[in-house]
Amino acid sequence: MRILRSVRHKSCADGSFMKEFLLDAPVTAGFFAYLENFGEVEALRNVGEGFYKFEKTDWFSIKGMNGDTTVEVRFKKEAMDLTADFVYLLFSSYREGAADLSLLKQREQAIEKRVKERLYGP
Amino acid sequence: MSPTIDRPPLIYLNNAATTWPKPPGVLAAITQSLALPVFGSGRTTGSQGEDYVTLAREAIAGLLAADPPEHVVFTSSATDSLNILIQGFLAGCDAGCHVLTTELDHNSVLRPLHELARQGRIRLTVLPFEDGAVSPDTVEAAITPDTRLMVTAHGSNVLGSVQEIARIGKVLHDHDISFIVDGAQTAGHIPVDLRAFPVDACVFTGHKGLFGIPGTGGFYVRDPETIAPTRYGGTGTDSFSLFQPRDMPERFESGTHNYPGLAALAAGAEYIAGIGVETIAEKAERQTAFIIGELKEEPNVTVYNESPSLPIVSFNVRGMENDDVGFILARAYGIVGRTGLHCAPLAHRAIDGGRGSVRLSLSWFTTDEECRVAARAIREIAQHADPSVGSP
Repeated sequence: MRILRSVRHKSCADGSFMKEFLLDAPVTAGFFAYLENFGEVEALRNVGEGFYKFEKTDWFSIKGMNGDTTVEVRFKKEAMDLTADFVYLLFSSYREGAADLSLLKQREQAIEKRVKERLYGP
Repeated sequence: MSPTIDRPPLIYLNNAATTWPKPPGVLAAITQSLALPVFGSGRTTGSQGEDYVTLAREAIAGLLAADPPEHVVFTSSATDSLNILIQGFLAGCDAGCHVLTTELDHNSVLRPLHELARQGRIRLTVLPFEDGAVSPDTVEAAITPDTRLMVTAHGSNVLGSVQEIARIGKVLHDHDISFIVDGAQTAGHIPVDLRAFPVDACVFTGHKGLFGIPGTGGFYVRDPETIAPTRYGGTGTDSFSLFQPRDMPERFESGTHNYPGLAALAAGAEYIAGIGVETIAEKAERQTAFIIGELKEEPNVTVYNESPSLPIVSFNVRGMENDDVGFILARAYGIVGRTGLHCAPLAHRAIDGGRGSVRLSLSWFTTDEECRVAARAIREIAQHADPSVGSP
């Protein structure tokens, strides 16, 4: 899945950095099932076409409606310089069906160590 | 951006931020203002242009009963106006005088005042509110011998409540305290009669209830001599003088005016006057009461303002973040509202612990059908508000 365009928005509540991504394909329940390998997913399947929200604590969240080609991504500002690239990697690595996540998990663990050190100390 | 799923028609309920759509006359006035040369005495093109600045000044003065019209000053926004007034009223207050404001206020009031307090130039008291309003008794109890100024919103942009300006103003004036009122949420929505209001200055913005466009705002000041100008520059008058003119409105207006913006403002004010503010307020009250009545039927919805005076509904859905509710309203139902703190952090801290809310805000152009669709959408979301954490 490719990100075609990224637009920055303001978020007044918590100062988080918010971006809207336009994707080359619609997000699906399968996409959020894939994301669940890296964090928590909440779903309201009966609202509209289905609302999904992925949360990776201290990193970022991704919100979308099933079948929509736009999603909203909110980065936690404190670690955004460490985590932003991983968001792009998550989208670009997604393929329908079973996938080998080992490389992504290795990358995630390496970043996680740095995020924790940044936020909570060594 | 082009979504894959079919989007429902847009229902715009974010009018407390910026009204949309604008009356056709406003759009026409902007086009006309750009098509004609700028009017101005002494300019060779003057006879062919329209004097939009005077038109707008007279239109706003008429709508707000501001007398004389020359005491209506144009700025770039309500925030700009508040900064000019606060700095100007407090120009002689280097000894740390006392200023009052309220928890209901917007950051356009809170931030300038907190900055002055941080600099040690003022001592600031932020008054609490109850049932959406600050009691005149609370104001009186907070007054000290060195209190010089109170700044507060006429109407809350979170709760849609309106302050008792007449009673608060009387209390303040009995103690010789100046009073600045922020009318950003009320001008154009409910009657504002500055002849009757005991205020020293009243702020307005162009792009909300007055149906103008962003980049316009202003204020009315009763006695300009009480405020020191904080901006200086060319006024097109008395140009041999190297000091700012004392005349109004040049005392506070320097630089080239926003002609298209003021053309829009004049047309917006004219449109409102043609309908009548009372008629606008009555329709808004009926529609707002309808939405609130519908939401109160839903056990999963908490409404924070059950009887607002302005067309604003603030609510949360239990078990859901307000941002998520706003996202679903926009993406699944085409309903544009506003979520979060609405730049009024202290009001939210008082009503929802600082969590923020979903806000819907109506305008004269909001239809009854749009209100029905919005209420139904929120109830649908609330009925499904039991987010399951787990596999999608």
